[in-house]
Amino acid sequence: MSENKEKILDITDLDISFRTTAGDVHAIRGVDINLFRGETVAIVGESGSGKSVTMKAAMGILASNATVNSGTIRFSYHHEDGTPESVDILQKDKKWIRRHINGKRIAMVFQDPMTSLNPTMQIGKQIMEGMIWHFKTPKQEAWNRAVQLLKEVGIEDAEKRMKNYPHQLSGGMRQRVVIAIALSCNPDLLICDEPTTALDVTIQAKIIELIRKVQKERGISVIYITHDLGVVAKVADYVNVMYAGKIVEKGNINEIFYDPRHPYTWGLLSAMPDLDTDDERLYTIPGSPPNLLHEKDGDAFAPRNRYALEIDDKLDPPMFQITETHSAATWLLDPRAPKVEMPEELRNRIERMKREANEHGSEL
Amino acid sequence: MAANYKTDPILTVDGLKQYFRINSRFTVKAVENVSFRIYPGETYGLVGESGSGKSTIGRSVIRLYDPTAGTIRFNGMDISGKVSRSDNKALRTQMQMIFQDPMASLNPRKKVEDILGEGLDIHHMYRNSAERRQKIESILAKVGLAPEHASRYPHQFSGGQRQRVGIARALIMNPKLIIADECISALDVSIQAQVVNLMKDIQEETGAAYLFIAHDLSMVKYISDRIGVLHLGHLLETGTTGEIFENPIHPYTRSLLSAIPSPNPVVEKNRVAESYDYRTSGLDYAKGTEHLVSGTHYVKCTDEEFERFTER
Ligand SMILES: Nc1ncnc2c1ncn2[C@@H]1O[C@H](COP(=O)(O)OP(=O)(O)OP(=O)(O)O)[C@@H](O)[C@H]1O
Ligand SMILES: Nc1ncnc2c1ncn2[C@@H]1O[C@H](COP(=O)(O)OP(=O)(O)OP(=O)(O)O)[C@@H](O)[C@H]1O
Ligand SMILES: [Mg+2]
Ligand SMILES: [Mg+2]
Repeated sequence: MSENKEKILDITDLDISFRTTAGDVHAIRGVDINLFRGETVAIVGESGSGKSVTMKAAMGILASNATVNSGTIRFSYHHEDGTPESVDILQKDKKWIRRHINGKRIAMVFQDPMTSLNPTMQIGKQIMEGMIWHFKTPKQEAWNRAVQLLKEVGIEDAEKRMKNYPHQLSGGMRQRVVIAIALSCNPDLLICDEPTTALDVTIQAKIIELIRKVQKERGISVIYITHDLGVVAKVADYVNVMYAGKIVEKGNINEIFYDPRHPYTWGLLSAMPDLDTDDERLYTIPGSPPNLLHEKDGDAFAPRNRYALEIDDKLDPPMFQITETHSAATWLLDPRAPKVEMPEELRNRIERMKREANEHGSEL
Repeated sequence: MAANYKTDPILTVDGLKQYFRINSRFTVKAVENVSFRIYPGETYGLVGESGSGKSTIGRSVIRLYDPTAGTIRFNGMDISGKVSRSDNKALRTQMQMIFQDPMASLNPRKKVEDILGEGLDIHHMYRNSAERRQKIESILAKVGLAPEHASRYPHQFSGGQRQRVGIARALIMNPKLIIADECISALDVSIQAQVVNLMKDIQEETGAAYLFIAHDLSMVKYISDRIGVLHLGHLLETGTTGEIFENPIHPYTRSLLSAIPSPNPVVEKNRVAESYDYRTSGLDYAKGTEHLVSGTHYVKCTDEEFERFTER
């Protein structure tokens, strides 16, 4: 890796819990993520594992019942005159973040489009709002750019649609309006939380292409949160696998897809529906996610892990470094651990994927 | 219980049109002359690009809109116009919709136990409060949530957890027909699989029929008995899952199938999908009529187009 890469986001040791009537939910338990300019990082993991909460923390918009127990979220950017700046988002108040960061330097496409759209406001106005508030863009110019953005996200009759209210659009159109809003202010960091879940494959491809184009032109960094491993395969340079509020494996895209080491990642890859097999039932990772209300000692994945060792019940595994970019938190990587192979079926699938990749001229 | 094609269909949609007038110059023709039927115990997958009219069809079926034209029959009864109060009440248990946007369809001021309990309360579906609680906890467990989630509000969940609350709300009523609108799209693969397996089990047990709306073709392939392909409000092609996947006829269907992403980074980063653009395709959907390919496989197009599509 080159030394002069510019780090734009550095999350270290983030730990967050939520107060609920049933007790404290320890949702984020020591997360480290970093991101360099121009790169694309994907965060994958089970529903409820803490992906959205981590990114909401980076935007300074945690729910009111949240407590940050520890950690820093360092964001680096440049002022208009070019002087560099670096702030810890967790130390800044909401008002400052709204004025200087949200929408302008970090934009987020939320998972549930209705939560970020105003139901009583025409969508055109909602796209123009940020440009007018952050950059005092003249109205006509903001209008033109909004129409342009709607076209770019693949919405037909863009001019006519400007006057639609959110409920007059289809689910996927609403999702694309939210993407248009996020792109409207040319952010340095774009966080996409399940940006294409409601989109069919053709429009999904179009959106991904659009984001990639913006990324090339302006060198922005992108974080994709998605469960769609097809999307991850397409866009990501690096992947973070999250389980129960922790990153359990990270690596570059090829390391995660062709050489996964954590049993949870094995499960995730095995659960992908495969167009080539005709099984009666789909594979699911056995058991259910841990209840973060009642924490227990050891590795949170142990109860569902058929490769669990005795030590897993007592001690949470540290991150074991595999290559410069690849690491995983499983005791299986300890030199003293017995040698364990990934499930046979997954190994066959990966072998097949590698063969296909090699047909594309790759050396794997 | 597998799909039962020997009885009458549970749902018959005939010539459905649904237009929305935005203003004097702009009318959205969301659904154009769509006909299909669903049999008890069957899963009918509805696929098509964003804005093609999938949710609108679902919402017309559960009577959220007055159809511009066409008829909708449920269990033999015409439900496209006015129905009696008692029929309406029965319909509200027998047809359930799982909405695409869970946040917009769950009351933010209600706890999950009351969201799930509401239908049970209205239709007196329990003997005492212990049974009510037991029903709620058991459905939560089935969709992979914990008992203590019952006392939370919708905004206190992750996206996928919230989607499962919507699924639980529909399943708890034991309906005859479930319209599932993108009901698993926000879930990770393992939980998608869990929910889909659960839906299959419930179908097995109760013989419920599903109208399964989705854009994820690999999941649709897995769950559906038959599939309908929708584009710009027109139902272009329909047939059994095998017929559609093994022998797609319409160029739009073919482009959809070729765009399914593969979870293989090198392959995916090199892939070019078949492109399809209606405006330059030279096709006119409005002129199309139904053409039988084979078995239950139909394509909507003109005679001349049909010849062209099938000469390969
Ligand atoms: N305001 C809140 N109060 C209590 N618990 C919360 C709150 N917000 C989130 N949680 C819990 O924190 C955990 C992490 O949630 P998060 O939204 O980050 O999940 P996620 O990884 O994004 O999942 P999904 O893929 O389903 O969107 C979940 O168990 C969720 O129930
Ligand atoms: N209440 C409404 N008022 C006006 N137009 C509407 C309304 N509901 C839907 N439409 C329009 O009808 C068309 C079809 O929308 P629909 O929601 O059925 O699409 P969809 O196939 O479900 O798409 P998606 O996959 O994006 O959810 C769209 O052009 C939409 O803007
Ligand atoms: Mg989320
Ligand atoms: Mg829809």
